[in-house]
Amino acid sequence: MALDLKAAKREDFKHSTTKQLRQEGLVPAVVYGQDKGPKHASVVSIDLLKMVRDEGRNAIISLNIDGDKPVDVMLHDYQMDPIKNELVHVDFYIVNMSEEMDVEVSLRLEGEAQGSKDGGVLQQPLYELQVRAKPNNIPDEITVDVAALEIGDSITIGDLPVSDKYEFLEETDTTIATVLQPDVLSEEDEAGDADASAEPELVGADEEEEK
Amino acid sequence: MLMPKRVKYRRQHRGKMKGQAKGGTTVSFGEYGLQATEASWISSRQIEASRIAMTRYMKRGGKVWIKIFPDKPYTAKPLEVRMGSGKGALEGWVAVVKPGKILFEIAGVEEEVAREALRLAAHKLPIKTKFVKREEIGGEINEG
Repeated sequence: MALDLKAAKREDFKHSTTKQLRQEGLVPAVVYGQDKGPKHASVVSIDLLKMVRDEGRNAIISLNIDGDKPVDVMLHDYQMDPIKNELVHVDFYIVNMSEEMDVEVSLRLEGEAQGSKDGGVLQQPLYELQVRAKPNNIPDEITVDVAALEIGDSITIGDLPVSDKYEFLEETDTTIATVLQPDVLSEEDEAGDADASAEPELVGADEEEEK
Repeated sequence: MLMPKRVKYRRQHRGKMKGQAKGGTTVSFGEYGLQATEASWISSRQIEASRIAMTRYMKRGGKVWIKIFPDKPYTAKPLEVRMGSGKGALEGWVAVVKPGKILFEIAGVEEEVAREALRLAAHKLPIKTKFVKREEIGGEINEG
């Protein structure tokens, strides 16, 4: 079921106006997709964040712009201020509920790997998976049980259970999780090396010498 | 210690450090990171000291990524030398860091271990920093 989110139309694109919007707790947004031209709007930042936290990044949102007919959208892209950790701008993508689309779904590892208990280091090179599915069939997240992994073992996309609701777009041999041998601190790791004021060679120095 | 293998010019101007970091502001490889909240030069020695502090605390286990590289040479004149007579000799290498930049990332350890390792690393740096987790919109807010 789509979640309702109210939005206001945005017609003044001056920087000062946008800045004021953000100070009032709103976030500027753009709505596009399905060959419809972009519409500019603003939504309440905290409402959107709560919605995404509760329902997931790929939740279907019924966006109501100034009392117009609601449109089903998905959060397509967003920009955050890295220092303040606040939303700066969001993109909403109009979805067609009967058409498959490509989205990113977060990947979560479950359980403690046997290899970790034996002293290995569990590594997760991939945190998000590219998935193709109809909007209603997009999973909130994909969990992978790593309890059976021993040192040197790894799980790839090909090892994941296949679902008829969605398909993975990554290569089947892409590694999701692996348990590595623990690193041993070498003398080099402890002490570091090389003099910081040593001069590196200049690009093109060899050619000059040859001349 | 980190430094470039080859450079085009031996010496550089000092430059300005205006604004915020343009890239490298999200935790992209590991699970936890140390984010700069001030602008500064970070020398290769400071990076090395931080790295050693982190790896020593984590003993074995976990993985550390260093997301900054000291590619800027800095020079200094010897003591008691009058001004003039050209630019000083190469003294070391620095990374230019602006607010928002993720300096180090850690994965494969518990949060408490990562937090302590990054706290120890932060003490080797000349700037204020904050501990951050892998970004997730609407998720847990990054803590200072």
